[in-house]
Amino acid sequence: MTLDPIKPAFDPVTWAIPMFVVTIVLEIVLGRLGKAKATYEAKDTATSLAMGLGSTIVGGFTAAAIAGVSIWVWQNHRILEVPMTAWWAWVAVFFLEDLTYYWFHRIAHERRFWWASHVNHHSSQHYNLATALRQTWTGGVAGTWLLWLPLALIGFPPAMIAIQKGISLVYQYWVHTEAINKLPRWFEAVMNTPSHHRVHHARNPRYLDANYAGILIIWDRLFGTFIPEDEKEPPRYGLVHNLGDFNLLRVAFHEWMGIGKDLAGSRSIREVVGYLFGPPGWSPDGSRDTSASLKAKWRARESAKVAGAPEQIAAE
Amino acid sequence: MTRWPAGRNSRAGEEGDAVEDLYILIGSAVAVALMVAVAAWARIARPIAALDPDSARTLLAAEFPDHAPTRTWIAADGAGLIARAGDQALVLYRLGDSWVARTLRWEDALKAPVRAGKVCLKLRDPAAPVAKLAVSGVNPWPPETNDEAIAA
Repeated sequence: MTLDPIKPAFDPVTWAIPMFVVTIVLEIVLGRLGKAKATYEAKDTATSLAMGLGSTIVGGFTAAAIAGVSIWVWQNHRILEVPMTAWWAWVAVFFLEDLTYYWFHRIAHERRFWWASHVNHHSSQHYNLATALRQTWTGGVAGTWLLWLPLALIGFPPAMIAIQKGISLVYQYWVHTEAINKLPRWFEAVMNTPSHHRVHHARNPRYLDANYAGILIIWDRLFGTFIPEDEKEPPRYGLVHNLGDFNLLRVAFHEWMGIGKDLAGSRSIREVVGYLFGPPGWSPDGSRDTSASLKAKWRARESAKVAGAPEQIAAE
Repeated sequence: MTRWPAGRNSRAGEEGDAVEDLYILIGSAVAVALMVAVAAWARIARPIAALDPDSARTLLAAEFPDHAPTRTWIAADGAGLIARAGDQALVLYRLGDSWVARTLRWEDALKAPVRAGKVCLKLRDPAAPVAKLAVSGVNPWPPETNDEAIAA
């Protein structure tokens, strides 16, 4: 059996398109019948799906260049010969690609330049299967695809990397739902699940910057970014500062526009670097909120509640 | 959702892939229209009522937990509010079945012009450049006697 190391034998995402359509319609119908927890707002849904469709079109412009670089690295600089037909190679690429995804996703949240590309995925105030398809238009430009090049450098064939990336994307689709509550404990312990990913999409301060997993939640547990969903505090979805309308161009480019505005007003190299590569919300005088400052304020409020509770009881 | 273009080493192969891509794109566009139509038909957006003083207080507490608003002005259609917290104006307005929150200087909020029955607040944010809240004769903006006229 031979597999083309350059051109993937199949594209998991393309194959999954009919499943996307069927399951979104199913989620809506079950929500309508009251059989599942699901909310859909028509304009929000149209925005999510149009972003997904637009991502496919825009991505087409950079896909050839990105694939070309990966192929060039593999053909000219690979360290090992990784056979596509070996089972262990698929196991290895599964774990290594998922680890790469974790770091890509973490950087995409914790550094503003890459957040500008990823933010649109979090811009819906709904959490449903359509939200999963609210994809970036500027991922190619942001350059996060460079993080996958070490896999080609190690020796994994570009086609193998592409297939595994597709499998990861398809896996992540189904976790974008409120219709599934918690799954068996062993599954929640190892795999990314709807519960874990709801936390990731939440804008409650306690849930910010958590659960970056693609397929395996073990990376978050390992690197200290795991936060479980607390039934006492349901996630509120969207951004810390939600978008003001459903304009697709605003959804795709608003953070880039914000960066441009800040850079235009920068007065030093430190400010330029901070605005570009600091955490989202960074400002020279600390007047804006970052995830860290929002969490600190939340902790202070929680502490004040605990400290105030005995006095309140005494007063009563 | 990016298809891998590598390996298209013959012209016929490239043309075949391009035609296949076009079919997938057209099919996806049709599917998007179908799914949006089903979402609109289902009417399963979150229930959202016009704001009243109680719901305004709850919403302000959720969106601005570190602020202590002293006065709240609710838009004539109940689809937004402006609250004063010190020298800041806390602005909330409805988008679909959700809310958008921003702050601006109270002085700037007071100076915001009213056009076509709506007070237009410049938010100076590319993500939400302007908030437009409905005003009426009994509920004017700015409040006639500064913040004394704003309903508590």
